[in-house]
Amino acid sequence: MNSIGLALAIIGASLATLFAGIGSAKGVGLVGEAAAGVVSVDPDKFSKVLVLQLLPGTQGLYGLLTAILMLSRIGVIGGNVTELTVAQGLMFLGASLPIAIVGLFSGIAQGRSAAAGVGITARKPEHNGKAIIMAAMVETYAILALLVSILLIYNIAI
Amino acid sequence: MSTDYASAVAVVRTLENQLFNRHDFDQLINARDGKEFETLINSKNSGNLTEVWEMLRSFAPDSKELEIMLYRNDFHNLKAVLKAMISGREPDKYLTEPSTIKGNTLKEMFRTKNTDLLPAHMRDTAVKAYGILTTTLDGQLLDSFIDTECLKAMRKSAEKSGNNFIMKYVEQVTVCADIKTAYRCSKMGKDRNFLETAICGSDELDKEMLIRITLSGTENLLNFLDSTQYYELSGLLRENPAKFEKRCDDLITEQVQTAQFKAFGTEPLIAYYIAKETEIKNLRIIKVCRECGADMETITERLRETYV
Repeated sequence: MNSIGLALAIIGASLATLFAGIGSAKGVGLVGEAAAGVVSVDPDKFSKVLVLQLLPGTQGLYGLLTAILMLSRIGVIGGNVTELTVAQGLMFLGASLPIAIVGLFSGIAQGRSAAAGVGITARKPEHNGKAIIMAAMVETYAILALLVSILLIYNIAI
Repeated sequence: MSTDYASAVAVVRTLENQLFNRHDFDQLINARDGKEFETLINSKNSGNLTEVWEMLRSFAPDSKELEIMLYRNDFHNLKAVLKAMISGREPDKYLTEPSTIKGNTLKEMFRTKNTDLLPAHMRDTAVKAYGILTTTLDGQLLDSFIDTECLKAMRKSAEKSGNNFIMKYVEQVTVCADIKTAYRCSKMGKDRNFLETAICGSDELDKEMLIRITLSGTENLLNFLDSTQYYELSGLLRENPAKFEKRCDDLITEQVQTAQFKAFGTEPLIAYYIAKETEIKNLRIIKVCRECGADMETITERLRETYV
């Protein structure tokens, strides 16, 4: 069994979880700061700002999903570990990169956008929907990256 | 890209809803009696200026830009304490809050001559101001000197902060103060020595040039201003100096309104403080005008532009 190939694939799964998770953590944290500021003055706006806070959290979930699919594909989940060459391992590592990198940056960017949207909710609560839409636009690129990662994972010949 | 003060900005955005807007001021002007007036005022309660300052300071305790907002109060208090001490009176009732230096500290500083009690940007001013008052006993010269030193300190700190927003604000304040001083000095026929002390100078209006033109007479000064981007202000000075004062305040409000587009940073905090100052000024104008029986048109004419 070529353990280097497997190790590379597992590093790929870890990177997807790690970087996308960091992006989400930073994004959610930033919006949380802004949301706490609003709620400290007007607790009635909690539910509105909570939606904005949840938005940058999805990148972390995409990273987790990518890692699970990858681990499932190489048999780490299920107990039937597949033998991988170094080239195959590198392919899995490469497959993890779209969501790992885009997840990191889009999580932070979406956090900034949603935190700015908290300002809209604070000043004009009736325009909360617009703030959500603007922050949600960033999500597109995380979804595209997730899609590419999934396509790559399922199309690597093993 | 900085995301500083995200929480503070969100609080400020919420509190901006509590500021009086133009419609609220119209309602106050039209209030039938004192009771309705008080009810309307109490319907929007976002605290007095000292409370607002303490809140903003707690959000941004390390912000040098925010501190610049209190320079004028600090320098005013320096003036008040010095004058009161020379004339043997208690300065407490002349002090302005919020301030970073307490009145007792200023009294202690003059008593012990220990300028280390003051922040670095006030030390030289305190020593020189004491010298001016004790040697000349000229209160007007002292006022002009301290006001100018205050502007210089604001400009220096703003430049040091590198914050474009605060630099533009200070530039606007300086230009308005210099035009006002130049106009008054030209009317009063003040000499070059006085103008050297009273005019600060700015990027837009060079000190030496302004002094030279002020010495050549009021009409020349106004004609000169007509040829600059401040032609509107010279027109108002010709028409009515009260309108000039209002326009200066409005220009500052228009400039700080750009902070409404900022989601992070100290700019929205600074803008909120200035908005609160303007609100207090407007409330005072309405109250005084109502007590004097001024008509609606007069009150509306004097009201400053609102931030929200």
